[in-house]
Amino acid sequence: MMASSRQGITTALKGLCQSFRGQWQPLDRQFQALKLSSPARTTRCLSTTTNASDSSDALSIRAAPELNLDAAGADLSHISNARPVPVSASYFSRMSQFNDSYLALQKLIRSYQNLPVISAADAERVAWKSLVDYRQMIGEHVKASDFIKCMELVKRLHQIHPKLKPDGVDEALQPFKKDVQPFSNVPKPIPIDRFGRALGVGKRKSSVARAWVVEGTGEVQINGKTLADAFGRVHDRESAVWPLHATGRTDKYNVWALVEGGGTTGQAEALTLAVAKALLAHEPALKPALRRAGCVTRDPRRVERKKHGRVKARKMPAWVKR
Amino acid sequence: MSAPNCLRGCLVQRPAGGAAATLLRHSTVMPATAAHFSTSTPLHGNMMKPQKPGPKSKVLLVAKQWKKGKVADRGGKSPLPGERKAFRKRILLSNNNALPVEGLTYIGPGDLLDHKNVGKVMSIPDAAVDQLRTAEVFKPTQTWSIFRKPSMLVRSETVDLLNRMHTALGKEKALRLVIAGDRITGKSMLLLQAITHAYLNDYIVIHIPEAQELSIGATEYAPVPHSDPVQFMQPNYVLKLIQAIRKANEKLLAKMTTIYSHPDLPQNIPVSSPLLALANSAKEPESAWIVFRALFQELTVKGHGRPPILFSLDGLAHIMKMSEYRTAAFEPIHSHDLALVRLFTDCLSGAVSLPNGGAVLAAMTRGNAPRVPSLDLALSRRAAEQAGRHKNQLPQRPAFAKDYDDRVEAVLQTVELLQLQGVSKPEARSLMEYWAASGVLRSLIDEATVSEKWTLAGNGIVGEMERAALLTSRF
Repeated sequence: MMASSRQGITTALKGLCQSFRGQWQPLDRQFQALKLSSPARTTRCLSTTTNASDSSDALSIRAAPELNLDAAGADLSHISNARPVPVSASYFSRMSQFNDSYLALQKLIRSYQNLPVISAADAERVAWKSLVDYRQMIGEHVKASDFIKCMELVKRLHQIHPKLKPDGVDEALQPFKKDVQPFSNVPKPIPIDRFGRALGVGKRKSSVARAWVVEGTGEVQINGKTLADAFGRVHDRESAVWPLHATGRTDKYNVWALVEGGGTTGQAEALTLAVAKALLAHEPALKPALRRAGCVTRDPRRVERKKHGRVKARKMPAWVKR
Repeated sequence: MSAPNCLRGCLVQRPAGGAAATLLRHSTVMPATAAHFSTSTPLHGNMMKPQKPGPKSKVLLVAKQWKKGKVADRGGKSPLPGERKAFRKRILLSNNNALPVEGLTYIGPGDLLDHKNVGKVMSIPDAAVDQLRTAEVFKPTQTWSIFRKPSMLVRSETVDLLNRMHTALGKEKALRLVIAGDRITGKSMLLLQAITHAYLNDYIVIHIPEAQELSIGATEYAPVPHSDPVQFMQPNYVLKLIQAIRKANEKLLAKMTTIYSHPDLPQNIPVSSPLLALANSAKEPESAWIVFRALFQELTVKGHGRPPILFSLDGLAHIMKMSEYRTAAFEPIHSHDLALVRLFTDCLSGAVSLPNGGAVLAAMTRGNAPRVPSLDLALSRRAAEQAGRHKNQLPQRPAFAKDYDDRVEAVLQTVELLQLQGVSKPEARSLMEYWAASGVLRSLIDEATVSEKWTLAGNGIVGEMERAALLTSRF
């Protein structure tokens, strides 16, 4: 019943939206545009933060200002019964903002459906908002099935060839993108300096290692010492040069490293990461091989904190009778 | 190690006869003179209470017996005194499980001088093996016991050292040299190679295998009569040394004859009797030092068909400090006041010359060596000199340092220094191929494997290569 009535509203709105031209703005913005009250910022602003009110975006919730028909300057004397009507009919639906943006997207699709598209894999990678995030943002209980349909439109619009993408499209997609885009966080590439050295930095536990890797014959110096002097345990030595060993590059590169902090195991494994990163600067194609060898990911584990009532992090005190 | 032993012992000695038997046995263990006081509560309680055979006291007694342990009841023969040490120190030079390596040649008299042999693995001839064993040149830490027969890698340093020895021999001078280097770089092995070369080329070899045996106070000592300032001889050690020299160099000693009369010897050795007879006259520790002096005097005569001498010592740092011995006035004795050590240091410093040529070699050790600042300083000065530094730019003593020793620095004033490092990659490859051929290293020996082990071993340190490649299960 509910769904059918909403569908009715949506179809009705579909017909309506064709009459609008230009950009589809959120409702409250349109109310502001009416300029019925002289300052946009009123004392009845409901925002909880003091300075948030200056942003006139869709996120801030504000009540419609009091109607002041005199200030509008229009001669309304001949009108006996007047009431303001919202620009968008979706004002009376349960999900006004969502419906607005849905309709806007539909309109865009209709307008630009003949533009060439690229495959989804070639399009710029974007982290889209999840349903939960989107609901939280607009404060409306958007139905999952509606959201999925909406996202189909979003993704279709996103596939428009970037060179031919019209101006309004990106703005319309913006509310559906996550605020933080992990894919845009691209690490800075490690340069190879004029001596052919690449500097990689690796960490493990509380050790920090810096490794300069240069093409050579397999010599390794760590803190000015040979590998054998730096690490008494053969296992640690193997850890330190594991990226080179795993990719069969032991005799192709020299390593000069500084490592500090932590114990021997931590230092050795910090070196693994540092050497791997520097090696990747020389040969980026080795990344899958190094990832398989476990040399790319930083191990985030640290010492577990001690808890009260325990002797260490987990150890319980000895049982004592009475 | 001790836990399984203990468990085994306890299981064996657990009495079958029940609590009564346990009690009886235990009462024999407790000494009658023991005070009736114990800090251990269960033991104390047990002694105070009248002991009744019952389930409770049985448990207590068994527990007590487990704690005490009884050596005599182990079941099986316990090792005799010294047997464990002998087992620990035994030297196995062959292993029939290892594969015989084809194409392995024996070292000839001139082979270690030939640059063509650098990077080859060669076997020690059997006669020389016996001599080396007599002189205790092999060490228990070396991995002879996993190969078919004792063989070694000819390094470039080996050929270099032996050529220097050869050149010195031509000039009728002694090469005085200290072999230094990092841990397990093959210092003792290089010494062994030099000694092998010496035996093959009819040198007289006097080798002190462990310098610490002279200075840690483990062997008897006595003042040398009529010495001023007083020196101390170590009669038992010297007797053992003479016997080793006699046995290892028997053929040579038999050929030479004495040219001095030695009136103070315990046994009359007439002039032109064989040196072997002189060496044989050392029967008692009391006369050992006198015989040794006489033997050394005879050997260092110029001409008379005397062979060159190789005087070598392993563990130099141990004789460059105060010894553990004390004078009658309980003053500590400097190692250089021990007569045998003094003879060696005099030879090393050049105060006593070897007129027929030869070498005085001292190998450093990193395993158990005391820190001797003067030794380090002197060697760093020699290294700087060899690197071509000007005399004014040599390392100096710290201004207010106290623990420096003039005598040590005087000894090392003019020695040469051989700094051992890792082997080169071709040498490493040859060595690894030998390991693979012996069946102890089961991997394909190619560029990558060699390079990997070479890197893991701190740029080709031989002992570390062994650790990384052969002894992986041990660490």
